[in-house]
Amino acid sequence: MASIRKSGGESLLLRYIILVAWALVCLVPIIWFLTIGFRPRTEIIVPKPIYWPTWSLDAWRLLVSDWPIASYLRNSVVAVAGSVVIDLLLAIPAAFALARYEFRGREDIGFYILSTRMMAPAIVAVPIFFLFKNMGLLDSVWALMLIYAAINLSLVTWIIRSYMLDIPKELEDAARTDGAGDLTILWEIMIPACLPGIITAAVIAAIFAINEFLFTLLIASTSKAYTMSVALANFTGGSDGVIYNAIALVSFLAFAPILILVILIQKHLSRGLTMGAVKG
Amino acid sequence: MYQSLFVVKFVNWSWIGLGNYTRIIVDREFWAALGNTAIIGGISLALQSVIAMAVAFFCYRDPFVRGWRIVFLMPMLFMPSAVAFIWKLAFNDGRVISDVLMSIGVVSNNVDWLSSIWLARLTLIVADVWQWTPFLFIIFVGALQGQDEEIEEAARLDGASWSSIFWNISLPMMRPIIVVAVTLRGIDITTMFTNVYIMTQGTPGGATETMSFFIYRQGFRMFNFGYASAASVLMLILTIVIAQTVVRRAFKSGKS
Repeated sequence: MASIRKSGGESLLLRYIILVAWALVCLVPIIWFLTIGFRPRTEIIVPKPIYWPTWSLDAWRLLVSDWPIASYLRNSVVAVAGSVVIDLLLAIPAAFALARYEFRGREDIGFYILSTRMMAPAIVAVPIFFLFKNMGLLDSVWALMLIYAAINLSLVTWIIRSYMLDIPKELEDAARTDGAGDLTILWEIMIPACLPGIITAAVIAAIFAINEFLFTLLIASTSKAYTMSVALANFTGGSDGVIYNAIALVSFLAFAPILILVILIQKHLSRGLTMGAVKG
Repeated sequence: MYQSLFVVKFVNWSWIGLGNYTRIIVDREFWAALGNTAIIGGISLALQSVIAMAVAFFCYRDPFVRGWRIVFLMPMLFMPSAVAFIWKLAFNDGRVISDVLMSIGVVSNNVDWLSSIWLARLTLIVADVWQWTPFLFIIFVGALQGQDEEIEEAARLDGASWSSIFWNISLPMMRPIIVVAVTLRGIDITTMFTNVYIMTQGTPGGATETMSFFIYRQGFRMFNFGYASAASVLMLILTIVIAQTVVRRAFKSGKS
């Protein structure tokens, strides 16, 4: 550390100017948006912005009285948690097979799983819409759960596979000579050993599911299935325009838990985001 | 492909063979959407790569790097729909950006950001860069922190400047990681939908309509499901080509 300071006070100053500038770029919109959540509506959409707010809890009252915010929250939690559970149930065995079994076309199958991640959601929007329409699952939280699970399955599989590849084979071989079967090995060796990877995968899948917008917009049409992400887009009061203070409050309700989850997995974040390709 | 044929059956459309495809090939809106996606996505991808790399390089040996990481990560943790509203408010409804620009004397009047092609695109680029630079940053800074400190130290003792350390040591070492990270980000940018839906709805005159929004508008606003499916299939073919060539190579080199 000390050696960097030796490289000259001038570049140190420059470095801090750049870092502080970017930190302001990141933080100022967030802080400003937080204040929006505690302002009366008359102060938000104005010809000339008002920088020193008068505080009010209007938005909070409005949310509780006019909008079924509790059911948005419940829909988000149910759909997201359910999808993560489905993902883990399917992805852990799949990742085990991709990491450990030798079979023809293993690399190709792995890549096909990965390639679903590369497809734009809009490409499958039309078929998915009719698929769920015919199953009578439009405007249902269960449909959202299935969709989120499908979107994140490839990601979860690849992250867990990457962590499983890191586990030394010797550990497994020792158990095998003791007569352990594949399921015992998976359950008693692999899962405990790659638990950080599984948690990372679950957190990242949860974040993507909370954020999902396009499919939710198509599937949900009432508060029966609206999640937080899409409910935001519906906070418009007709002639009054967009209700920004309510939007700000709801977005911070979602932001807080995500921030906590991400700080928990910080060390694994870059590996998770690149699906295991970067071991940072 | 298979499912897109299904759709035709579900809504009892008369079979028109490749009619949708021949129509779409000459549809100027389709090509415009493709071009917009490339322009908006390309510019934001370039900007966020450069910013993320610069910020990562300036803070990876900083004593407060853990703090910087959390601060720089924050924009990414907002729901994309919320981010779109932040910038919609800042640019259009709240006129904050115009006001700030006026007070430092850049412009003399309120700017109507949706009135010109490039200003409208700029708002989308700003929103995307703000939210997703952290994605690249967190990967780059992790890679830089994993870099061998002794090599850096040796180079510095030999009198190498920070810029030559960056160009000759860090950048070559990070190449495979940069390829993977930028490829992933590039894929996500081409799917841009939320910001367009909330901020511009494709205005003015379709200049900000991305491929995803084009498919959505054709399918779910104008109910041309067959047409939207045809556009989806074309986009799918494009994606498969890109996935097979670029991404496969990126992930192979990332592993080694």
